[in-house]
Amino acid sequence: MPAELVTGNHAAGYALSVAAEANRHARGATCGIYPITPQTEIVEYVAKFPFSKTRVVPVESEHSAMGVSIGASLAGARAFTASSSNGIAYMVENIMVAGFYRLPIVMVAVNRTLGPPWNIWADQSDTLMLRDFPWIQFYCEDNQEVLDTTLLAFRLAEDRRILLPALVALDAFILSHTQMGTELPEQEEVDRYLPDLDLPHRLRHEAPTTLGGLVWPNVAMSQRLEIDEAMGRVPEVFEECRYAFIEGMGRDPGDAIQTFFTDDAEEVLVVSGTIATTAREVVRRRRDEGEKIGLIKIKMFRPFPEAAVREACRSAKKMAVLDRNYAAGVGGIFWQELRSVFQGDGDRLLIQGYLTGLCGGDVTPSMIDDVVADLRERDEMGKPVWMGIDDGNGAGR
Amino acid sequence: MVEIRIHGRGGQGGVTLAKIIATSRFLQGQSVQAFGLYAAERSGAPLQAFCRYDDEAIANRNLIYAPDHVIVLDPTLIGPAVADGLDPGGWILINTDERPESFADRYPQNRVATVDATSIARDNKLGTRSVPIVNTALAGAVSSVLGIPLEEIHAALEHLGFGGGNETAAAEAFERVRCAELPGVTEPADEAGEKEGGAAASPFLATERAPSFLEGAGGGLPGIKTGQWATEQPKRQQFVPPCNHVCPAGNDVQGFLHALARDDTDGALEILLRTTPFPSICGRVCPAPCMDSCNRVELDGAVNVRQLERLAGDTGQAAVEPLASRGEKVAVVGSGPAGLSAAYQLARLGYGVTIYESGSEIGGLLRTGIPEFRLPEDALDREIGRILGLGVRVVTEHPIDRPTLLDVTRRVDAVLVATGLQELRGLRLGVGDSDAVEQGIDFLDRTHRNEVRVDGEDVVVVGGGNTAMDAARSALRLGASSVRVVYRRTRNEMPAIREEIDEALEEGVPIDFLTQPIILRPDESDGAGGAGALGGRRRRTYHLVCRRMELGEPDESGRRRPVEIQGSDFEIPCHRVILALGQSPDMSVFPEGTEVREGERLLGLLETPVFAVGDLATNDGTVAGAIGSGRRSAFQIHTALSGEHLTITEHAAARRDVDVWHDDVIRADAMRLHLFERLAVSEGDAVAPELRRSTFDEIHTGLTDAAEAKRCLSCGVCNECDLCVTYCPEGVLKRVGHDLVFDYAYCKGCGVCVTECPRNVILMSHL
Repeated sequence: MPAELVTGNHAAGYALSVAAEANRHARGATCGIYPITPQTEIVEYVAKFPFSKTRVVPVESEHSAMGVSIGASLAGARAFTASSSNGIAYMVENIMVAGFYRLPIVMVAVNRTLGPPWNIWADQSDTLMLRDFPWIQFYCEDNQEVLDTTLLAFRLAEDRRILLPALVALDAFILSHTQMGTELPEQEEVDRYLPDLDLPHRLRHEAPTTLGGLVWPNVAMSQRLEIDEAMGRVPEVFEECRYAFIEGMGRDPGDAIQTFFTDDAEEVLVVSGTIATTAREVVRRRRDEGEKIGLIKIKMFRPFPEAAVREACRSAKKMAVLDRNYAAGVGGIFWQELRSVFQGDGDRLLIQGYLTGLCGGDVTPSMIDDVVADLRERDEMGKPVWMGIDDGNGAGR
Repeated sequence: MVEIRIHGRGGQGGVTLAKIIATSRFLQGQSVQAFGLYAAERSGAPLQAFCRYDDEAIANRNLIYAPDHVIVLDPTLIGPAVADGLDPGGWILINTDERPESFADRYPQNRVATVDATSIARDNKLGTRSVPIVNTALAGAVSSVLGIPLEEIHAALEHLGFGGGNETAAAEAFERVRCAELPGVTEPADEAGEKEGGAAASPFLATERAPSFLEGAGGGLPGIKTGQWATEQPKRQQFVPPCNHVCPAGNDVQGFLHALARDDTDGALEILLRTTPFPSICGRVCPAPCMDSCNRVELDGAVNVRQLERLAGDTGQAAVEPLASRGEKVAVVGSGPAGLSAAYQLARLGYGVTIYESGSEIGGLLRTGIPEFRLPEDALDREIGRILGLGVRVVTEHPIDRPTLLDVTRRVDAVLVATGLQELRGLRLGVGDSDAVEQGIDFLDRTHRNEVRVDGEDVVVVGGGNTAMDAARSALRLGASSVRVVYRRTRNEMPAIREEIDEALEEGVPIDFLTQPIILRPDESDGAGGAGALGGRRRRTYHLVCRRMELGEPDESGRRRPVEIQGSDFEIPCHRVILALGQSPDMSVFPEGTEVREGERLLGLLETPVFAVGDLATNDGTVAGAIGSGRRSAFQIHTALSGEHLTITEHAAARRDVDVWHDDVIRADAMRLHLFERLAVSEGDAVAPELRRSTFDEIHTGLTDAAEAKRCLSCGVCNECDLCVTYCPEGVLKRVGHDLVFDYAYCKGCGVCVTECPRNVILMSHL
């Protein structure tokens, strides 16, 4: 398996392309796509890829990009797209439709600040806006994880037990535009990993039907329940897909959560995306100094890996959640999720939220040290702390 | 771990340089990162790129605030920011042709290396001459400076597919890079915390709370100067509007229309009075070539400039005073429009002007040759009064011949001869000095002096100019039983103002086109000299024998020459034939062989400058042409007497502060006519034809307001419509007073202002 120096965007573009190509013996693939900074390199990559049975459809908006992908998916093609930030916001109506249609579309999303004010840098608030939609969501740390997770996402989404769309997110620029050594699987390896797509409810000329028409409440509600059950099966099927990947590619695409020194940790940092790399190094240094500190990287956000997180926090007394995203009036969205995970757990775990590197701010080792120092002084949870900016309550650093 | 920061401009390949260095380390098995700091991803925009490499797995995802080394791709970026956070003792590699020692003062804590990567890139044809791609040359220099084996850089280039000139450039730079040792004492390495101090300056590290959105945070100027992205910039330009170009008087037509459009009638008159003393006159009798050339013809009809000039002249208020007082005296021979225009300009310049007029009244043909129904005497008197108010002396009944011209010339400092066209073209009709035939000019003069009636007569006027039309229409008003015009060409060739032809036809004057009078024959059966039906002396009846013509090849005037059709003769019975066949200058006042041309001194007349002016010099034949000639000649006199060249030009558009002047005329196809609303022409009111025939009262009553001026497209001249300001998507275009100000710091050069400008006064220029 050759290693190449590529950007995160090219890793994603490569994964989308070889996954699409892998369905060439079935009903091919289609991608409706519209460029937006910082995702544009992905569009450029897939537009140039020498596909044998894939149509890349340039459209006039993100809404139509997803529309094209929905149509293609309903026709049984492997469908994918990519977008970012306000492009995702514009796409929202059809993103939801893809989920409720149970279409295994894969979207790569480059996390970029929602405007206004205009800002093109990393912030997860765009994809986390979709957290209540029937989509599987992954957040990646580096180029290799982007590539591997994208391939895995197709297999997971298209599994007949799941049939839900999946989103693979990567931080703008810090990941999308950074070149790092990345192993690029050969087409044959991908062909072996991704079975031909045979969508059970695809539209067929020979048996015309209508999907998504007006239905009675109990039917619609039942369909919601089916989605919930499918979401419930995701952790198990994900593990199958992950092990199949390790077997086929000889490389771990990464577990739903990835722990670091959590076995006996009293303090746990919870992170996602590229912040994980920097935070892991801080934890390693502090471990070297004898501190009982650990780290959890959340890769799978939907469905949220509750059990795994609980398991990883058995010894923890305090948790610092670092969010590069913001839910208005709440604070960090991961922080909110983790509080609900531990709800009813006897308040034995102090879960403090930290807003770090929003809107593209750089999260440095010293900032993470500041987070640890703040956590250590606490004996009860407080309002989320805006790292680097005084929030008016004297809580900022 | 080694961290390198690269400072460059978009298009130079800075991010790729980071990748080349990273690749060279990656191929040696190291862990690497290469990335850019993206904000302004446009060609020419300053940007930073970063490269990290380490034997261990790299364990952070931050920008590089405390680099070990710095590379500067563009010499224009050399400044203190380059060394921000740089490790003391670290290298600064600069793309420049200067020696590294010349940077010792600027970067005392660092080692500096220089290489002329731009020349190397150009020599190897990397990029374009204006934007050479310098990254591969610098990779070679990096190899030398940082001790990375050149073959490892070459391996990276090969891996990335950069062959040929790139490899040569790297090798050349490897050889040519010059390194200076550390000039000063190396300071002890900074504490880690202090390193972060440099980092705090980065906008990517949160520092302190920014101002509130509601208090305008973000409403100020953006942090990224987007003007750096621009490869083109809008500039203000100005063309010559066609009306200004063609106006024989040299009026700033666009300028006075612009003033009128803002309801500034006084300002409009003030603009007109810079070039003409006769707005009320031209507003009535000018053939208005400005209207023929008006670009609005391509949209919905010419702007009614003639009536608007009359409105400004009749209703505006503007004082005219001499601008200076001078001792020199100038004599003007002739008080027609050219002489009066020259006198007006000379008097304004402060000269003592005396006009010599052979007749008893001043005004020349303005008074005696244009009937009152077109030009009322009070308008004429008012405008002549304005000239006399400047202190111009007039000596009437003072004909000038050759001896008296010499006499006058001795007594003054300069002379202008403006005697016009005194020789009237005749036509031999075989009746000798019959009183049945007279010149149109004389007929109009006698009409003016109330010395002629044509009651009950059948009158034939020969000619196609304004004199013919005026004579015919005057004859109608003087009681003629019938009036008809014969003209040897077609309507297209008629020199008369189009509107006057229309009005003559409306009033019942038929025109026989392609008709040439041959001979006037008395009616043998008519007893001459009897009493007329209306009690006057009854005139003898004649037959004007005419021949039909057809148009042949064009003659020297460009008009098709009429050719006789043999055997087509016919007769028109009449009592009177009025000839209006044109005039020519009377040169008898000058020495034999004098060539008269405007702007040239006439020789043989002492040392005093003598100029000929107006129709005498130009044979133009219009009031507007005489005004322009008079003004130009006045300025030439001024130059001859003072040495000063005046700046009021023929096309004195209201020039504002613009970047690019065009001396050429803007045509309709350069205008964006689709941006204008179609609007009907305001013609102004006129007395009904049936009521006109019996009175010399003025036909046209003029416009009642200046709304018509708003139809002016202001071709090629900014009239502050500010569509550009409205549509500028960046908000970087402002109106400051009369000036249009571009904020080039933020203008991306998108060109929307250019395409939204209806009148083409913004152009894009390459940077």
